[in-house]
Amino acid sequence: MSRMPLYLKHRVEKVKERYLYEIYESKKLPPWERFLLTWAILLGFWVIITGDLTIRGLSLGIATTGIIAYYMRDLLTEDIRHSKHLVWKILYFLLIYLPQYLIIMAFRLLESNIKVARHVIFMDINPAIVKIKSDLHSNTGITLLANSITLTPGTLTLDVVRRLDGTYLYVHWIDAETLNPEKAGEVIKGDIEKWLKKMFW
Amino acid sequence: MIYLLFLVFGYSIMVFGALGLVRFPDLYTRLHAATKCDTGGMIGIILGLVFLTDASLFIKAKMFLLLFLIAMINPMVSHAIARGAYKMGIKPQVKVDMYGWDNP
Repeated sequence: MSRMPLYLKHRVEKVKERYLYEIYESKKLPPWERFLLTWAILLGFWVIITGDLTIRGLSLGIATTGIIAYYMRDLLTEDIRHSKHLVWKILYFLLIYLPQYLIIMAFRLLESNIKVARHVIFMDINPAIVKIKSDLHSNTGITLLANSITLTPGTLTLDVVRRLDGTYLYVHWIDAETLNPEKAGEVIKGDIEKWLKKMFW
Repeated sequence: MIYLLFLVFGYSIMVFGALGLVRFPDLYTRLHAATKCDTGGMIGIILGLVFLTDASLFIKAKMFLLLFLIAMINPMVSHAIARGAYKMGIKPQVKVDMYGWDNP
């Protein structure tokens, strides 16, 4: 591979990209799994908001959320990676992935609050706008990554630009340590991108 | 007694956020104070209220739902404000502005 001519190397990279895209297209969730997942999420929402567990209320909720979930099944769960059976997926998500994410985000939010308080008292700010690269491709994944970056210590997402080789995020950093895009990406994203790549495209 | 800890934490974080809104030099650094301190302080206050009330389980679940919605929507709104302000032409006081290099 190392002795390959340059034009051939570009060609091989393009073929690899095409291959990745086709894997993405073929590994989407099947329609009935998308429908069931949307239905379960909407039904949980319904039960929490209405708060009645009588048979009349529950049957009304099941019918209504079923109709909505049938038409809106592509909206919420299109970007989830396909792996294993549906029940395994839900159990993994509820018992392992979600608590992991919540614990990481809770500690980072606490740290960011303390950091902002320190900046307010001492005014030792050193702002810069840096550009970092992410490997996520889907809408849901990028949205969650941008939200998490806004809540992590000292950073605020300004804009998102999507290119073919990945997604570029412009981040306003209140206390810039480095301007190198890769090092800045490691410091800013941390474990969150690794976690999101297990779940979303 | 644990609710008092959460409530005091939330209120003090909110106070620091309001102080930062006054003291920071330009719009983008003020948004830092507004977003993070509002989210963290609101999470502290709502957790304190969950421990404080004797209400039924559904009301506590509704409070957690509110917390989730706040934590999702607050960063989105701050992103929208920052991007809109940059497009309108408010220049940030920064050393290096890579967004300005790419969008002259």
